[in-house]
Amino acid sequence: MPARLISLFAPLAVGVLFLLLWQGICYIWHIPPYLMPAPSDIAHSLFSNINPLCHALYSTLTVTLAALLVSVVFGVLVAFVLVQHPLIERSLMPYVVLMQVTPVVALAPLIIILVKTTLLALIVCATLIAIFPIISNTLQGLKSVDPGLAAFFKMHKASRLKTLLRLQIPSALPMFMAGLQISSGLALVGAVVAEFVAGTGGNSAGLAYEILQAGFQMDIPRMFAALFMITLTGLALYMATSSIRKLVLYNRIQH
Amino acid sequence: MQETVISIQSAEKTFPNGVQGLAPITLDIFPKERISLIGPSGCGKSTLLKLIANLHQPSEGSLSWWNKDFSEVGKENHRLSFVFQEPTLMPWSTVRKNVRLPLDLEGIAPAVSEPRVQEALKVVGLEHAAERFPAQLSGGMKMRVSIARALVTRPNLLLMDEPFGALDELTRNRLDEDMANLCGKDDLTLLFVTHSLYEAAFLSTRVMVMAAHPGRIFAEYEIDPAIPRDEAFRLSDTFAMICQDLSKLLIEASHSSLVAKVA
Ligand SMILES: Nc1ncnc2c1ncn2[C@@H]1O[C@H](COP(=O)(O)OP(=O)(O)OP(=O)(O)O)[C@@H](O)[C@H]1O
Ligand SMILES: [Mg+2]
Repeated sequence: MPARLISLFAPLAVGVLFLLLWQGICYIWHIPPYLMPAPSDIAHSLFSNINPLCHALYSTLTVTLAALLVSVVFGVLVAFVLVQHPLIERSLMPYVVLMQVTPVVALAPLIIILVKTTLLALIVCATLIAIFPIISNTLQGLKSVDPGLAAFFKMHKASRLKTLLRLQIPSALPMFMAGLQISSGLALVGAVVAEFVAGTGGNSAGLAYEILQAGFQMDIPRMFAALFMITLTGLALYMATSSIRKLVLYNRIQH
Repeated sequence: MQETVISIQSAEKTFPNGVQGLAPITLDIFPKERISLIGPSGCGKSTLLKLIANLHQPSEGSLSWWNKDFSEVGKENHRLSFVFQEPTLMPWSTVRKNVRLPLDLEGIAPAVSEPRVQEALKVVGLEHAAERFPAQLSGGMKMRVSIARALVTRPNLLLMDEPFGALDELTRNRLDEDMANLCGKDDLTLLFVTHSLYEAAFLSTRVMVMAAHPGRIFAEYEIDPAIPRDEAFRLSDTFAMICQDLSKLLIEASHSSLVAKVA
């Protein structure tokens, strides 16, 4: 069997085996669903609640993607500013790090009070969590220019703009892509954390709210169903960014 | 006064950390010369090349390019190209775009530069690989792309830092013959660093043997430019003689470097 198929089917087989074992244990020991729902209970809950869950998914996904977009735009912008001069980097970088090391969960209540629109508040929280890898990776990437190529550009008296466009940005691309991949995961984490803290119901209720609600109602299968959707979203984001990365960097890899 | 391509007037290089890379050097390079620099590792060969490419500034002394200062370099008949020890290609661009880079940086329109790119690729025998990416090339091919990129500006002075160091003997010999051919045709002055005294003997009209501690020119060795550089030359007694002489000089130079280090 080709290696590609094995790397696809082997983890799948482990997953199926795990689910079967889980189902079997729940069945044999008659474990009640409110303690530990069997996979079949979760699937059942997932299908019977598919409408509210999809609605929640839509909300969470909106916050996640918006936060990712803002992170990319601002993160890249900040990295460009920082790389202009060592002095700028040295004076501003500590604050970027400060922002990173402050747990955003602790800031979230403040942000939710300060920012009046709930959706905006959620996006701000998620952005604060997701932006750091973009800044640091883009910055490292912009600085990781091949010294030989840098000398070549200098020798040919290339302008700053040409050096940025034709050397620094393409050089930074691989690191940026790695940052994007990490950030996409963090944006989802940020969205879910922000939803937990905000605890918003109503129209903009996300998957985190679904989990909270299901918890209050002791509807454990529904809790798992929401969790399952979050995991699936994370996986989809990971695969999407990983495909984008491979596509963008396709030519640089030896095939 | 005879026109010089490069004139170095007691230029020296001391690095910010206090290491003296080069003791004061005075050297004139004349049009159509092919000069090789050989010497033990760390004797300042790369430093000298970088001074000439204006990638380093001398800490004392001065250099002139075609009897003018560096601002003149790049203009018609005063073009300078540098081939680094590594191919240093842009991995995100095709071979064609890599070769075109110096022309793009000058702001030359693709319509004008494309035929010249084609011509440069032909010289190094890589027309068929123009649309490939560096990751799809062998080491020797990458090096040839790097040489094509240096040739595309039609340089009058070509600086090469151990350009063929990573290549096998046969490919290296072939490229050496190509270089000899190229230099014969055009108004091209060549200055290159090599670790192989066979390469120095084959290609040069003048060999500079350098010594270290501090970096300096230890000896000069002239080779008749009239001798055709081909396979017959490589097998001749003259060639063997030259190699022997160079070998002796190199041993003396490294001896002198060691003595200087101990003293
Ligand atoms: N940027 C630098 N800062 C400090 N010292 C340097 C720097 N570049 C080179 N040197 C020192 O200057 C000396 C000459 O270096 P150079 O690279 O010119 O040697 P080289 O003859 O090219 O050696 P090799 O054959 O190994 O390439 C060495 O002792 C080296 O350690
Ligand atoms: Mg060197």
